[in-house]
Amino acid sequence: MEQTIISLKNFIPECVLIVTILVCLLADLIVRKKSAVVAVIGIAGLFVSGWFVIGQFGVKESVFFGMVVIDPYSVFFKLLFIVSTVFIILFSLASKEIKDSTHTNEHVYLMISLTLGANLMASSVNMLMMYLALETVSITSYVLAGYMKKSKRSSEAAMKYVIYGAASSGIMIYAMSLLYGYTGSMNIFEISSILSKMGGTNPMLVIVMVMILAGFGYKISSVPFHFWTPDVYEGAPIPVTGFLAVTSSAAGFAVLIRFFSVTFLKSTTMLNGSLQIIDGIRWTEIIIVLSVASMIIGNFVAVWQMSFKRLLAYSSIAQGGYIMLGLVVANQQGLTAIFVYLVAYMIMNLGAFYALIMISNKLNSDDINDMKGFAYRAPAVAVGMGIFMFALSGIPATVGFVGKFYLFSALIESNMIWLALVGMMNSVVSLFFYIKVLKYMFLSKPDEENSGKIYYGIAGYVLLFILVIPTLLLGIYFGPIVRFAEMSAVMFGLK
Amino acid sequence: MLESYIPIMLVLSFALIFAVVMINLSSLLGPSKPDKEKLSTYESGMEPIGTARERFSVKYYMVAVSFILFDLEVVFLYPWAISFINFPKAEMVYSLIVALIFIFILFVGLIYEYKKGVLKWD
Amino acid sequence: MTKYFLLVTLLPLFGFLINILFGKRINSEKFSGYLSSFLVFVPFFITFLVFLDFISVPPESRKIVLNYFNWIAAGKLSINYSFVLDPLSITMVMVVTGIGFLIHVYSIGYMHGDESFARFFSYLNLFIFAMLNLVLADNFLLVFLGWEGVGLCSYLLIGFWSEKKFTGDAAKKAFIVNRIGDFGFMTAMFLIFANFGTLEISGFLGNIAGMPVNSVLLTAIALLFFLGATGKSAQIPLFVWLPDAMAGPTPVSALIHAATMVTAGIYLIARTSVLYALSPTASQIVLIVGILTALISATIALKQNDIKKILAYSTISQLGFMFIALGTMSYGVAIFHLITHAFFKALMFLGSGSVIHAMHDEQDIRNMGGLKNKMKITYITFLVGAFAISGIPPLSGFFSKDEILYQTFINAGILPYIIVLFTAALTAFYMFRLTGLTFFGKARYDENKVHPHESPRTMTIPLIILGILSAVGGFIGLPHFTGLPNYLERWLEPVFTNANRVIQLYKPEGHHAVSVEILLLILSVLVAAGVIYFAFKKFSKQERFEKEKGFGKILENKYYLDEIYDKSVVEPVQNTSEFFLWKIFDVKIIDGFVNGISFYVSRLSIDWRKIQTGIIQDYATITIAGVVLIILYFIFA
Repeated sequence: MEQTIISLKNFIPECVLIVTILVCLLADLIVRKKSAVVAVIGIAGLFVSGWFVIGQFGVKESVFFGMVVIDPYSVFFKLLFIVSTVFIILFSLASKEIKDSTHTNEHVYLMISLTLGANLMASSVNMLMMYLALETVSITSYVLAGYMKKSKRSSEAAMKYVIYGAASSGIMIYAMSLLYGYTGSMNIFEISSILSKMGGTNPMLVIVMVMILAGFGYKISSVPFHFWTPDVYEGAPIPVTGFLAVTSSAAGFAVLIRFFSVTFLKSTTMLNGSLQIIDGIRWTEIIIVLSVASMIIGNFVAVWQMSFKRLLAYSSIAQGGYIMLGLVVANQQGLTAIFVYLVAYMIMNLGAFYALIMISNKLNSDDINDMKGFAYRAPAVAVGMGIFMFALSGIPATVGFVGKFYLFSALIESNMIWLALVGMMNSVVSLFFYIKVLKYMFLSKPDEENSGKIYYGIAGYVLLFILVIPTLLLGIYFGPIVRFAEMSAVMFGLK
Repeated sequence: MLESYIPIMLVLSFALIFAVVMINLSSLLGPSKPDKEKLSTYESGMEPIGTARERFSVKYYMVAVSFILFDLEVVFLYPWAISFINFPKAEMVYSLIVALIFIFILFVGLIYEYKKGVLKWD
Repeated sequence: MTKYFLLVTLLPLFGFLINILFGKRINSEKFSGYLSSFLVFVPFFITFLVFLDFISVPPESRKIVLNYFNWIAAGKLSINYSFVLDPLSITMVMVVTGIGFLIHVYSIGYMHGDESFARFFSYLNLFIFAMLNLVLADNFLLVFLGWEGVGLCSYLLIGFWSEKKFTGDAAKKAFIVNRIGDFGFMTAMFLIFANFGTLEISGFLGNIAGMPVNSVLLTAIALLFFLGATGKSAQIPLFVWLPDAMAGPTPVSALIHAATMVTAGIYLIARTSVLYALSPTASQIVLIVGILTALISATIALKQNDIKKILAYSTISQLGFMFIALGTMSYGVAIFHLITHAFFKALMFLGSGSVIHAMHDEQDIRNMGGLKNKMKITYITFLVGAFAISGIPPLSGFFSKDEILYQTFINAGILPYIIVLFTAALTAFYMFRLTGLTFFGKARYDENKVHPHESPRTMTIPLIILGILSAVGGFIGLPHFTGLPNYLERWLEPVFTNANRVIQLYKPEGHHAVSVEILLLILSVLVAAGVIYFAFKKFSKQERFEKEKGFGKILENKYYLDEIYDKSVVEPVQNTSEFFLWKIFDVKIIDGFVNGISFYVSRLSIDWRKIQTGIIQDYATITIAGVVLIILYFIFA
């Protein structure tokens, strides 16, 4: 019992989230349909939870009988999830798609449930827990993807997502059972020490790794587990798409990075900082393959997309590839770079999705052709979108550049120059489609029949501004995020 | 050795007797006006034979799903109830609270269902 | 007071943001103008309080480094956003914000009725922000950012009235010419970082203090910085942009192109005085360039007819004087002249603005005349400025210029002295040609069409204040022989202690012969007075103007320097860029490469896109195939 109570003490943020979900659910039954009360309660709950998460900074403890750990690593991700969820809920208040669907407030607690699952993904160190957390995230995402009940595309997206997700996690859980059978443990620290003793020459381990990657890889939409991404992104309402792109895939990274860097590292070297991979287990090479494939497929296929949502889908596939580059290095510096990149990724992706919400609210479309001359109609939004596009393509003086800079310099310092080159070349290719959007917005004149000025409420501009500011400011003054990332790149059980 | 199985035997035989008695009792006491519909394989379920692309009412499934849900949740309470007796005094209140929280969460689910009109038949 | 010092830079930035974002919507000249002025005055006030703090502590402790945050930390490179507060930077901040404030107030009157009133003030505030960063920064990167920032503002403000093509061209010229200077600055920074591993100014200066005199590295760095300075401070060979920059509104000319931005080069050299003290060669070059610039631009000013152009060439010439002082390693004197020049040149530009305002945008002095009765305040203040720049005692220019003359005499020799004295005489001559033609004689404009009138009070009050400052400003730096304290020298002393110590190593203490100093002083006053009398007599009555012939024509056309630059630099560059870089290198090679890539990317994209069929069975198949392939690869390869 004492163990449970101590564990609960470290579990307050999640408990707060659970309570928030229940309160929101009850509130939704009472209040009017169009009321924003539920969203306000949800955001308040997220803030409270975030407050407790901040209080956990620096703690390193294993709770619930070795199921979950609290460490700076998980705290970083939890903060990331909570911040992005707050933004997504705000977005959903602005989104016409969500407003027009029949059940207006359910998305709030569905999103918070997803955050809860994501938090658990970031902190679980037991394969069973990882699976449960992943399913929590998945199931809520299925519901959210099909949120627009009346839209055929939305339902189709949800259906494809369910099937694809079920298949992937099926593959993963099979691999987990194999690993359990091989080592006799579900706890990744124990697995690691057992594997270090046994050595990693067994070919079954390759099968296990690739199949486990099917489960995690589908969350981060890494090639070849990415197929659901464009279809689901296109069908789901934009705030949900943004949510999937940011929170859900960051959660995938959280669990993926922890699983691979703990399980397949020599347990003897874990505590002195110089991380060494168990002999014979070449997981970094598998990651290289997936990463390069994701970057190339994502960037190249995006070039011809005319649907903005599909474009962002391929863009996030490619961005996932960049982030995996940091995992390849498998050291502290790589982890720091990943964290810097994740912060950047969150800010600029949220911004891009918000700008897209603003645009498609008025155009009722996400087709890039319809955005012709948008800069003449709503200059502020177009400029905002431009900034986010530049950031996503990694142009200097934006936060995206900082992220890429740290990733590539981590690669170069580990003598993986060719990989850095592949990454940079892909950045160049990515310019094609990011700038293409701007070409349509700024260089073509709007069509005759819709060339009127478009105005938004002041709140819309304020939110856009709140996202533009860090995109630019952190691109110039990036000391704080780097320091934050360095402090957070500390995992339980690793130095 | 075998004595320890006596309670199980008891449960089994009680269940058997209860079921047989109940079924027969209802047929004895209730009015019996059989028609074609009533005699079909799944009386209020779907037709076992016919086209697969048929529209059907979802209400039945809603009730069925919630039944399964709550039924399964109740299963969790059994081990709790068994071990509750063996808890030391000091932990009893604690474990009671835990169980109550669990039931409360279930209860919220029930309210949600009710409010959303899942249990309304018409 | 230093606790709030960050406000000094933040307030102007804040003003910029407010005006650029909301200025147009608020659409109130009063709001924009007064807010901007106020946000420049507060920094002045804060700095003044810091100044008072500073003079109450002993000279050795008059240096504070305010470290705000670590800006960039990547590998070896660590850049702090930090300010250095010492007598030099405080002086500069007070000049920038003080004169900046007066010119802001003046602009409220001058820009009245302009369509983009708020935009103008936002640029002015941005300029103040950038300039303050430049003079306060404690590392070269930050200085460089300020340096580029003021360049950007200068560009924006020169081209402020961009409806005229002319202003656009002038803005571009300023921008491009300054790029050459920036190249020098950047190369110097790279050299410093590569050799000393730091970009911190105080760290760098401390590092070099023990190095041998005239080492190649230091001379190279010093000369590269000086190349940067010739760009920003308009010296030979990069001075051609400044006269054209007069296309901007007159307050801009006063603030940026006379009083503050163009002195950035002077400031840079004074800030790195140790470096120049360690490299007599570089200092010698600074001296020569200074003398040549002063002389050549003063001669060009003789025959110009545009009131602002004359002042522009005069500015270049006076900047040359400051470089002469730097070249003779009398850094304090250069700063002294910088201050007095800021007073009287800002005054004269604002006065000329007042005249142009009154004459309905007429700038040709041949079409003016007799304005002294119609614009009393402008006339009197302008006259004060003219006397000050000519070096008539006891006005401010007299003290600073004679100090430069004296330093030239004892440090550089008799020939440079004569040239500089001659230049000073030319200064007096063209200034009184300007004054005579503008304010005296008969009106040469159509009095039925143009009715000159005195400007509004927001414009005349800054004129009066600047007039007073130009008159009495010299008393902060009285010559030694008077026996009275030289406040400025004493105040600035701690900044230049290190440089002076280095200089003493290889240069014996010059003997100060009081009699010589007094003699030179009298000589220069006599020359100035004589020239003024002659010029005044000649031009105050002149009514007819003949076409210039011979040398006069060469001078009127600025030695054909623009044409020479066009033929020797601009055209070859343009031709190369058009016929080789553009038509062959760019179109054939670069574009071919880029287009080729883009073509193949598109092709691949079209093909690969087809994998995404939308049918989930296909997805599953491909996924499983991918998994199997990866597994097979890692097991068998």
